[in-house]
Amino acid sequence: MKLRIRPVGLAIIGVVLTLMLGAVAYAALGDHVLGRGARGPEVSELQQKLARLGYVVGPIDGKYGPKTQAAVTRFQKERGLRVDGVAGPQTINELKLLSGESTTASGKPVGYKNSDVNLLARLVNAEARGEPYKGQVAVAAVVLNRIKSSEFPNTIADIVYQPGAFSSVSDGQINLAPGSSAIRAAREAMSGVDPSYGALFFFNPAKTSNRFIWSRPQIIKIGNHIFTR
Amino acid sequence: MRRNFWLGALGVALVLSLAWGYNEYRQAENLRLSTENQYRRAFTDLSSHLDQLETDLAKGQVATAPNQRILYLTQVWGHSESAMKDLAQLPAEQVGISYVDQFLNQISDLGRTLAQRVAGGGQVAPAEENILRDIHDRVASVNRKVDEISTLMDSDQTAWLSKSPTLRQRLGFGKAQVAEAAAEGQEGPPQSVRGGLEQLDASLQKLPPFSYSGEFSTKFVDKPLGLPAGEISREQSQAVARDFLAKIGYGTDNLEFTGETQGPFAGFQWKQGDASLEVSKRGGAVTLYRDQRELQVRTLSPEDAKNKAVAALKALGWNTMVLTSSEDFGSYLQLEAINEQDGIRIYPDKIRLMVGLDSGKLVGFDATPYYAYHTSRTISKAKALPLDKAKSKLRPDFQVTESRLALIPKMGNQEVFSWEFRGKYKGEEYLLYLNALNGNEEKIQRIIKTPRGEYLQ
Repeated sequence: MKLRIRPVGLAIIGVVLTLMLGAVAYAALGDHVLGRGARGPEVSELQQKLARLGYVVGPIDGKYGPKTQAAVTRFQKERGLRVDGVAGPQTINELKLLSGESTTASGKPVGYKNSDVNLLARLVNAEARGEPYKGQVAVAAVVLNRIKSSEFPNTIADIVYQPGAFSSVSDGQINLAPGSSAIRAAREAMSGVDPSYGALFFFNPAKTSNRFIWSRPQIIKIGNHIFTR
Repeated sequence: MRRNFWLGALGVALVLSLAWGYNEYRQAENLRLSTENQYRRAFTDLSSHLDQLETDLAKGQVATAPNQRILYLTQVWGHSESAMKDLAQLPAEQVGISYVDQFLNQISDLGRTLAQRVAGGGQVAPAEENILRDIHDRVASVNRKVDEISTLMDSDQTAWLSKSPTLRQRLGFGKAQVAEAAAEGQEGPPQSVRGGLEQLDASLQKLPPFSYSGEFSTKFVDKPLGLPAGEISREQSQAVARDFLAKIGYGTDNLEFTGETQGPFAGFQWKQGDASLEVSKRGGAVTLYRDQRELQVRTLSPEDAKNKAVAALKALGWNTMVLTSSEDFGSYLQLEAINEQDGIRIYPDKIRLMVGLDSGKLVGFDATPYYAYHTSRTISKAKALPLDKAKSKLRPDFQVTESRLALIPKMGNQEVFSWEFRGKYKGEEYLLYLNALNGNEEKIQRIIKTPRGEYLQ
């Protein structure tokens, strides 16, 4: 039997298909309220932006699952928004604003200017994950104090990757993606806050017997770390 | 029949495992080769950068014209930094930072400090000339050692890292262990590249350290200049903590002592619920305060928060501070307040504040920079160049939007009295600082707008 479709019918099907495709492919983040169970490119974009800011979402798969929901919840809590785990207009606006590029006075984008913060946050994450927030800021401050010191290199990467300087580089923990609290701590230290009062070293007294590090003049104990000159 | 089947199966398994083993071996060989090449390259780079460094140090000493001096000093800075990066690429097994590394960093720091000083019209002091000569000698000896290691690599196929003792030796059957360790410590040809560098470390460390005033550090002072005189006791510090908390609207019922800190800012630590603060022993000043409570939904605009910060500063008795910049951390706003005297902004006298956007209460306070650098200064508006005269030193097409007198920090623990000009040039915004006494350009900062606020580069 032959299947016959009239030209008009074909056109209608075509139009409907195009519209559907358009709705799927071109819906921009912010057009809809996204919640648990949502799928599609909008969710991918949401996940991408969350991941850029250090909120763990797992693989970017366009599915609004429990991990994405948890990330949205944490984002809302840390940004002082209403906490409901649903990406509504306010949450999405805030997310868009924060994950945007930096600009010059005339509005020309000049990139994210994030690579230093990112590496510093990785180090904080690897060295002080379970520590109080103040201790995380102090660990980041130690790296920045080393930049100031004439006995250490002058860039964050050179200091982090200096042979033998940090155990988290030797054991690969430095490569873990940093959490949002590590990123915030890195940023705060870069703005100049230094709870370590100029420390150049820190160590965990329960795990270290290294004579050199114990011989340094101690300044302050924060959480499990002792910070020294 | 059955036996044949098992023999066949074993044969197939053998062939498969051989193939797998060969494949693994090839991959490991590729990996070994590519790391070997990387190490070789880093080592060659290291020795060529050290060579260039040695040459630049020599030329930098003989040069008399400032422009030649600047050229060679900046090359000293650059080549020592490159050599340090090369060294970082070589494999290392021990924990702790090597002295060669530290030596190279000191050279690069000195090179930069001197180059910038000469560029600013300054001089290299005779004592610094001596240090340069001393460094030159030491770099030459480093070069000799590196060259020796490089020859050994070809003649003896020296390994990169010293071998850890074999199982046989560890069980006490080997003889060489003690002798080998002794040889590694000093003299004699090194057993590995790293071993050779460690020998170098040891020989460099025997020389007396050289001292010079390095880069200005905004956070590192041997002695805080601004802490009031007199030691206080723990009881007195408790009263200070109570007073501070009360003034920013906190209760003090559960105030508990949590420890002491040492160093230039030695003090007592107190805790009240989620809030903690540190009171310095000298002078009894609150240096750091932080409330780590979970912040609630925000209800305040950044403007409201700024007003709250100003009010908090007033309540705490800081009457001469003006807010200059802010950074948005979402649930709280971080602000910087600068001391203003007689219309002159004293940038080293800085306090940081954090205001919760939920209730407007102070959640963070950091007066460390203020107490580190505050002194009584003798600056007067009368001595400064008049505004129009300073302005005439700028590029004619630089559009000034704001101008004021300011005291800014400068390298080498110095402060410069200067005119601050905020303005635009070709679509970009800058802060330019001209020396208020002679009109020289002292500092340039570029302003960019990040999602969190303005940022100076």
